[in-house]
Amino acid sequence: MAAGTADAVEFQPGMRRRRIRWRRYIGLSIPALIALVVLIAGVFAELLQTHDPEFIDLAARLSPPVFDGGTWAHPLGTDELGRDIYSRLLHGARVSLIVVGIVVPGAALFGTLIGLVSGWVGGMTGQILMRVVDLQLALPAILFAVLMASLVGPSLTNVIVILLFWTWPSYSRLVRADVLSLRERDFVTASRAVGAAPAWIMRKHLLPNVLNTIVIVMTLEVALVVLAEAALSFLSVGVPPGTSSWGRMITEGRDTMNVAWWPIWLPGLTLLIISLTGNLMGDWLRDALDPRLRNLR
Amino acid sequence: MQFWNYLIIRLVQAIFVTLLVVTIVFFVSRTVGNPEETMLPPLTTTTEDKERFRELLGLNDALHVQYGNFLLDLLQGDFGTSWRGGGTSTLDSIGDRALNTVKLGVAGVVFALALAVPLGIIAALRRGTTVDWLARFVAVIGQATPSFWLGLMMIFFFSVQLGWFPTGGAKEGFRSLILPAIALGLFELVAIMRLTRSGMIEVMDTDFVRTARAKGLSERTVIWRHGMRHALLPVVTMLGLSLGRLIGGTVIIEMVFAWPGVGRLIIDSILKNDFPMVQASIIVLAASIALVNLFVDVSYRFIDPRIRAGAA
Repeated sequence: MAAGTADAVEFQPGMRRRRIRWRRYIGLSIPALIALVVLIAGVFAELLQTHDPEFIDLAARLSPPVFDGGTWAHPLGTDELGRDIYSRLLHGARVSLIVVGIVVPGAALFGTLIGLVSGWVGGMTGQILMRVVDLQLALPAILFAVLMASLVGPSLTNVIVILLFWTWPSYSRLVRADVLSLRERDFVTASRAVGAAPAWIMRKHLLPNVLNTIVIVMTLEVALVVLAEAALSFLSVGVPPGTSSWGRMITEGRDTMNVAWWPIWLPGLTLLIISLTGNLMGDWLRDALDPRLRNLR
Repeated sequence: MQFWNYLIIRLVQAIFVTLLVVTIVFFVSRTVGNPEETMLPPLTTTTEDKERFRELLGLNDALHVQYGNFLLDLLQGDFGTSWRGGGTSTLDSIGDRALNTVKLGVAGVVFALALAVPLGIIAALRRGTTVDWLARFVAVIGQATPSFWLGLMMIFFFSVQLGWFPTGGAKEGFRSLILPAIALGLFELVAIMRLTRSGMIEVMDTDFVRTARAKGLSERTVIWRHGMRHALLPVVTMLGLSLGRLIGGTVIIEMVFAWPGVGRLIIDSILKNDFPMVQASIIVLAASIALVNLFVDVSYRFIDPRIRAGAA
């Protein structure tokens, strides 16, 4: 190190990397901005709304958005019951935020724990845990949602519980695969040799090494969870009637699809943009953190 | 010998998964919901009716006894009786609809494969060109589009505006199938295309492809006989694994296109308060997924000799 000359300093890899990294963040800026807008829309929905999202005004039904001949009274128009679409979109963002905010971290936490344990313990316990994980592939979330909805009626809690149950195995499968190879590595063997407790090894050696995977999957799962909530609400087994959810808005806009484009296009486009945002952020993170996960989905 | 061992292990696993699904369905439906309320039509039911009903279904027995009886009935092919349609067997109604769901699922996968594989291969061979860029664009958009919304939009443009296809149902045979198949297959298309592309890029760098080229084989032979066969292995695996997602997808698409399949039967049954039908449909669907997964796993051993050589 001390022998480094002026020439050597010029070629230090760290310097070059830093300059390129700033450019790489450009790809993240637009999705991040959209995510921020959604976050603000969902959190401050009451402050930003122009009408009560569930207020029915039949006199103003199906009025077009302001850029299609409408008035500023309803900037994005109204649906077939005269409810303000702009305000409903805001509250739809809140529903999506609540679902994502509980489901994604919850599933990541539980899934990682199961993945760590089944990968570390192995043997019979590991096998049984993995069969439970495989259940995700055998029982589509929609069937489970349908079962719950037919038993206790549609509700937001249902949606959250179902999506939690349905998404945690993704984390377990990947974490377990990582742990299976990590446990053979020298630093883990060394740690075991000096008598470290399994919990300590998991926390200090395994978890930091699977953290990248977890963060990437979490980001990619955001879009999946948002779309799943919308699909469940579309099938009327998701959030109950009278709740502004993007999926519900699409169902309700369906009947007037032939005479008014906005009640179905606006929530549809919103969903498309949001899930696009989630996927782009996930892709960006994956390329930045762990390119070998390219075939994740 | 090794193969039979493997088959038996996989069979046991498939049975285990199915049993787990049945168990979940049973206990969730008996504990979360109240069978009296979910199975009997509301309003018109009297207290005597409820009592008779409890007696009839053995709801006064202990839970584990009920569970045992439930399993025994299922094993004998008794999946319960629908509360609608004059007490028809649920299994018969499902059987009538199952073929339509299979048709839709197969059409969706065929559509996805037919487009995704060539696109993926071309994108891999012409990396960085317009085709590659276009394929990636389709992938990003396709993965983010909600299938039910896409379906509705296609109905609007191609059926209502242009009148090319029926707006729903299955009465016009092949023409009825096209739009639902596209809406269902788009997500799989993206996944298959990505896998094909990356698999192809990987395989074109391997030693055996270089050897094939060195032997003087034509580029076409190299791509089709050496490259593609290898690149498609992960696609087969993924198709098997994505079956659950596909079935879930058909439920949605069947609702969008009024397609008379099992998925629509389930949703309609919920709206009609026909719980036995919902329960039977879920069990049948989950069991068929387990069965097909088993089939895919076993056939995979024939496609990829390396797995046969390895330990079961």
